[in-house]
Amino acid sequence: MSNIQAEPKTILRFLVQHFDAIAELLQEQRKEGVIKVEFLNKVCAVTDIRLQLTEYRIISSVKSDYEIRKVYEDFLSFIIGDQRITLPETIEKYHDSITKLFLQMQYTAPEDTAILGERITELQEEVKHLTENVDRNTNTLLKETRELKANVERIDYLEKVKKACFWIDYYIVPLNKILDINKFDSVASKLYEVSFFANEKRLNFPDEPTRLKYEKLYEYLILVNDELLRHSKILTHELMPLIERIKTESLILSGFIQFLKKPNKYDTPLLLKDKRVYIYNKNVYFNTLEYFEQFYNQEDVVYEDNAAASEKWVFNMDRYKATLRKKLPLENFFEWCSKELDYEFKEVESEKFFSLCTLLFEDDIKIEVDEAGKRQRVHTMEATYMVPRIKIEKI
Amino acid sequence: MSSSYPKEHKMIVKDLLDGKFILSNDTKYEIIRQFEAYYSEFFQESFEYKMILKSDFVYLISNDSNENLSRDISIFLAVLCYELDKDGRNFLDSLNFNEFEHEQIDQYFENTSYKDVIQSNKQLRDKPARINFYNTLARRNIIEKSGDDRFLFTPAYKVFVEFAQEIAKSKSAGDEEVTGGSKEPDYSMN
Repeated sequence: MSNIQAEPKTILRFLVQHFDAIAELLQEQRKEGVIKVEFLNKVCAVTDIRLQLTEYRIISSVKSDYEIRKVYEDFLSFIIGDQRITLPETIEKYHDSITKLFLQMQYTAPEDTAILGERITELQEEVKHLTENVDRNTNTLLKETRELKANVERIDYLEKVKKACFWIDYYIVPLNKILDINKFDSVASKLYEVSFFANEKRLNFPDEPTRLKYEKLYEYLILVNDELLRHSKILTHELMPLIERIKTESLILSGFIQFLKKPNKYDTPLLLKDKRVYIYNKNVYFNTLEYFEQFYNQEDVVYEDNAAASEKWVFNMDRYKATLRKKLPLENFFEWCSKELDYEFKEVESEKFFSLCTLLFEDDIKIEVDEAGKRQRVHTMEATYMVPRIKIEKI
Repeated sequence: MSSSYPKEHKMIVKDLLDGKFILSNDTKYEIIRQFEAYYSEFFQESFEYKMILKSDFVYLISNDSNENLSRDISIFLAVLCYELDKDGRNFLDSLNFNEFEHEQIDQYFENTSYKDVIQSNKQLRDKPARINFYNTLARRNIIEKSGDDRFLFTPAYKVFVEFAQEIAKSKSAGDEEVTGGSKEPDYSMN
């Protein structure tokens, strides 16, 4: 029974008001194991809270020093999110306590329902403590591992390896054993045994209130099993690979850093030497290529249209008109166009041919189409045209 | 009597004698694995070369080693891994899966605190030298080019990473002398 006189709300208000100072005391206790009286004096020099700290039973004296009581320590650590990892050996003790309570529960005479009820409740409480411890451990380990991965404290790579190995050997592997349902001596398998027993009793125990208690215990154990399985999965699927990874990476980096200190000191891995080099060997080609690549300055490539590259042809109408006039009258206008262009150019584009055809529309020319409708072929670079025979003469 | 030789025998011998790593995704690798005893003996008896066959690759070693190239690769990987880690990247994942751009590596190498080591190495000191170096790595199948200015590492990088692990282990054991090259590697890492 607590003999605190103050109202719970008063205590909580005090905790809120002086949270920073109390958190400082907690840090000190974490570091030194106790709160030295000098440290307490220093904290209380700003605001003297010593009286309330003892009155609300937040701290207790240990010889000449002080410590924060367990219940407050757990509560504060929980809300700060800075919980201490429990050694798996400590968690393992629950195997014994649960086994003991289970045995007592099994061998309680059915008519002693009062003590049986107490034992069932007690067993459930013990399981609750166990799950809280496991939960705290996995979460704290995960948090610490992630911090180690990010190297928040900028510790040396070899230190990281040591820390990772330590966690694996002393925390993660043993905790995993505790949670391994396939190991007959694990806490998880013991809980499975209890749940099997409770399941049976919740159905056939003669006394109804006790049956209901078994029912409650069974349902709780189902939840706990799921929870422990989840933690086991976190350990094996997330934490172990992450920490193994830290270990491997840190080891490699540590080695590389050591190597870079004196790169010529170490015998590097053996590699085969290229043997005799023939001039027709493929490697000679590559070596030469590499050599030239070093001196090769690549220039910008500018793309230009072909038409732009060659000189643009401009139709000189007056010149062709004058030539045409000299030839008038003409029996076949298109034949003349074709011959004229062939004479002048090696290759005749359709554009030139059509340009020359425009002379037909001159005002001072009379056009006469062949009545028989005879046609002839005119070839250009792009196409062949079937054109009519057109006779032209001066007006 | 060509029928008495394994398939692709000529290319297998040629590639390995050229100092190449034959990777597990190459059909030649399976043939070597199938005729492991034969090839081991063949290279030992013919050239006194030791064949190292691993789950990811196979290559030859001899006491007459290409020490310079091995040292250059070790320095290159050491600086790259250090910079990747400093950059907050998972360097083993990067070596396993990521594509590296020359420009990105240039940046790392220009700004590294190991610049003195880089500067004093002919193969790594500047961009043109490194392009030459990449070509050498590609020829040996240590990297695989995925473009003109990008590449991926092949599993052959593990030889050098394992070498770093050996150094670290001997350092933590208080042993200063490391003879990583003389020992047959043990690729036990993930």
